[in-house]
Amino acid sequence: MPTTITEPAADVVILGVGYMSGVIAAELSIASLNNNKNYKVVAITKGPYWDYVNDFSTTKYDEWGVGLGRKYDSPLPLQSTTIRNTPYQFALPVRRYTMPIQYHALGHGVGGAAQHYGGTMGRQGPWGYQMLSQTNTRYPGTIDTINPHNDLKDWPLQYNQYEPYYVQWENAHGLCGNYNGSANNPGSDSSGYPWMSQNYKLPPHPLTSAAQLFQSSVQSAPFNYHPFPHVNALASQPYVNQYGVPVNPCVYDGYCGGPCDYACETGAKANAAYRTIPAAMKSGNFTLVVNSFIFRLDTDPTSGLVTAARYYDPQGNVHIQPGTVFFNGMWGYNMIRIMLLSGVGAPYVWNSDPTMVSGTVGRGLTNGYSPYKGTNVSGTLPNIGGNAYPAGNAGGGSVDIYDLMDDNFDHTGLGFIGGSQIGVGGYPGGGPGNITFAGGVSSASMGGTFKPSQKDKYLQTKTILGATPFAPDLPTTDNYVDLDPHYTDIYGDPLARLTYDWTPNMYIGATYLANKVKDIFTKMGASNVTVSSTVSPGAVHNDWWGHHLRGGCRIGTDPTWSVWDKWNQCWSPTTKTPFNIFGAGEITNTSGDTVPSGTHVAGPQSYRAAEGIKQYLGLMTPGLVP
Amino acid sequence: MVDQTRREFLKLGLAAAASAVTASAIEIPLFGNQNSSMQTQLNSANTQIANLKTRVNTVVGFVSLSITEQSLLEKIVETIIPTDSDPGAKEAGVIYFIDRALASDYGQSANMFMDGPHILPKVPASTTNTLTVNPTLRWANLPGNSSAPITYTGGSIGTPGVGAGITASPRVGSGINYQYPLNFREFWRVGLSALQAYANSAYGGNFETLSSANQLLLLQDLWANKPTSFSSILPSDFAYELTFMTWAGFLMDPIYGGNQNMVGWTYTGFNGVNFGNFYGEGQDQKALMVATTPTRLKPASLAQYQQQASGGA
Repeated sequence: MPTTITEPAADVVILGVGYMSGVIAAELSIASLNNNKNYKVVAITKGPYWDYVNDFSTTKYDEWGVGLGRKYDSPLPLQSTTIRNTPYQFALPVRRYTMPIQYHALGHGVGGAAQHYGGTMGRQGPWGYQMLSQTNTRYPGTIDTINPHNDLKDWPLQYNQYEPYYVQWENAHGLCGNYNGSANNPGSDSSGYPWMSQNYKLPPHPLTSAAQLFQSSVQSAPFNYHPFPHVNALASQPYVNQYGVPVNPCVYDGYCGGPCDYACETGAKANAAYRTIPAAMKSGNFTLVVNSFIFRLDTDPTSGLVTAARYYDPQGNVHIQPGTVFFNGMWGYNMIRIMLLSGVGAPYVWNSDPTMVSGTVGRGLTNGYSPYKGTNVSGTLPNIGGNAYPAGNAGGGSVDIYDLMDDNFDHTGLGFIGGSQIGVGGYPGGGPGNITFAGGVSSASMGGTFKPSQKDKYLQTKTILGATPFAPDLPTTDNYVDLDPHYTDIYGDPLARLTYDWTPNMYIGATYLANKVKDIFTKMGASNVTVSSTVSPGAVHNDWWGHHLRGGCRIGTDPTWSVWDKWNQCWSPTTKTPFNIFGAGEITNTSGDTVPSGTHVAGPQSYRAAEGIKQYLGLMTPGLVP
Repeated sequence: MVDQTRREFLKLGLAAAASAVTASAIEIPLFGNQNSSMQTQLNSANTQIANLKTRVNTVVGFVSLSITEQSLLEKIVETIIPTDSDPGAKEAGVIYFIDRALASDYGQSANMFMDGPHILPKVPASTTNTLTVNPTLRWANLPGNSSAPITYTGGSIGTPGVGAGITASPRVGSGINYQYPLNFREFWRVGLSALQAYANSAYGGNFETLSSANQLLLLQDLWANKPTSFSSILPSDFAYELTFMTWAGFLMDPIYGGNQNMVGWTYTGFNGVNFGNFYGEGQDQKALMVATTPTRLKPASLAQYQQQASGGA
């Protein structure tokens, strides 16, 4: 018979063990060593501990099992989510991990989604933190037309306040890139990021020929853009981070990123399990609880504070984990779901009148970058080819420009704000799941047509260029997360329900940006450069649900619309405000441009939250950290 | 290349195959006064046993598909990827790949969310067409909720009942819309049977008996949702699954039963786990990665890799 077990109380209880939770685990357990506070830290995750040597060494090339069978992803029978486009619709549950046509990166276990992702990184610049005020200043009176039912907000802190946290986060995870140009890194521009205080710790990965051509083409007139080698989180060299955790480099054996999202067998692909959690483990103050499904947070009816996390172990026993302070590091909508199930924070209540909406938890959902496949630019470089996938790592080898994002060009009269990072020339690693299936399965691929379309496809005598740029998704009052009335997880609790449709800023910007990219491809000497646009509202919903959701549980300047304050500390009131829970992740991002990585933008918040938690533990009475 | 077909195997039968394995271990008694005829018979028997052993070791039996499904599906996958001067679905053993998949997690929908209610996507909305569904108990018990049935009208933002269906159509399914109360084994059973029924009603005979041109036309009919009656499933959903799994059987690692002898990888030029030096070619993978011209590498499979990694030849 399942029983209820009360665990020894901890100072810090961490919910979910992904990127952000790893930072909290390391910073708080080591803090206790450094200042003799002896904080006890407990981290709980629903999945297992992945060991790259034992779990991935021989199975990483198992494309059918890993890339298509999704054996390292969160099991859907355990819990799924439901989706609809408008609040008047019945939301359908996600029943299946779509075979690799579309992206997913739903993590399970220590390291979370980052156990199998592309490792793409890239900071968000100053504009991304002030999108609303910058737009109102430069293009006054336009935002409500550009973004109907606008819910775009500024961040509680500005870029320069996050910069030191960016540096800590990048050093912890061993990011590769180069922003200031040198003889060793011809891929960069001497102007650099004007807003970075120091370079990345590791050099970028070797550039492909296509990337070098892109770089020289955009540097010259008429563009005069500023190319940089792509930033990613796949170690290019052996490395030891600030916690003394050694990191193995990438060995370029492919099966890396792309739609199949492979695991890494050397630990070169950064995630919490191989960067921050090892430091916490060595501290002696840290307990890792795996295969345990958190289903409720208990709250004190008088103070409103969170008192304990309840979870099921694999045998169905209920464990109660009391704690002083809690960190919500669950992935995406799971962070929202646990709060809605537990009555922590004020649930968002939608209304067709944007002035009548209320609550914060679930509000302001937006969509990251890659699922948008509406507007494509393509072209062919006849003189550059190569093996499609002899090796490679995800995203490495390419060159990016930032000149077509943020407010780096005049948006007057364009009907959208922001833009997109443009990257060309990467060597995505992968097998047939990526290269053959990613193009889609259709009636055109039967009979005599399939084989010729695939013959020698992995031996390229030319390079096909492609890009799908689009402007950022903006928060509206109509895109949100709540609890589904009809479907439950395996334990009988309601699933998260996503209500979401594309916002016009995305597809209006896409057309403009695609034509800019078309000019670049043409300058590069590509033939058959074409822009194909098939976008209409509600028409394309390629699995945006599982990939880089942003917002929905935002930090902000005001508790009427944000869940967390400038310390990532909860200030969303119910009857009493649960001040002793903090949270960080992509969905706590207030807003952002189409930067390559919402994860990278979330990262600094985890360091900010770690500082906030340390300060909170020093407060005499529970309340907001000043 | 494995020179075998499913038919040969069927002729042998599973029972025969099983006893052949046993027979190979039996000592055949030799008599002191054996004559040349007996010797010839014995030699012949030994040869047959050896042949049988070879075949048993190379042929994959069926663990899921019924006899009628086998002959139908064999023709379907050969229509999707025909054999010409190069190997096709037949030589790759695609049907064995699918058979095994249907018997394993894929067929059991073991990693899918299968709970009800099962409501098909894109149910059209109108002022008279609404959808009413009861909430679950725990949802109803949360503050602010009730156990009253919920009615959905569909519609765009600001205009209920107008402009959008009652249900969203997220791209999360077989093809795009898998919301069936069937696991994939059942889905294939229903789909194959419906396909055969359509072959008879629209083309006048079992799929296997149709001309190859008509076989292809029929599959395209499914993609275009031409069959007006196709059991309880959308024909294009089944066509998607047929096509997807046939591709996978041609291109996934041989360890899953398809892509036999890596014919799919040899044809497409994919290297498998050979990154330039698996067979001692001496190529550097980092150099290959940034090269401007391709290098054809002999592919290597997962089984080979695991053997090499564990110290085998």
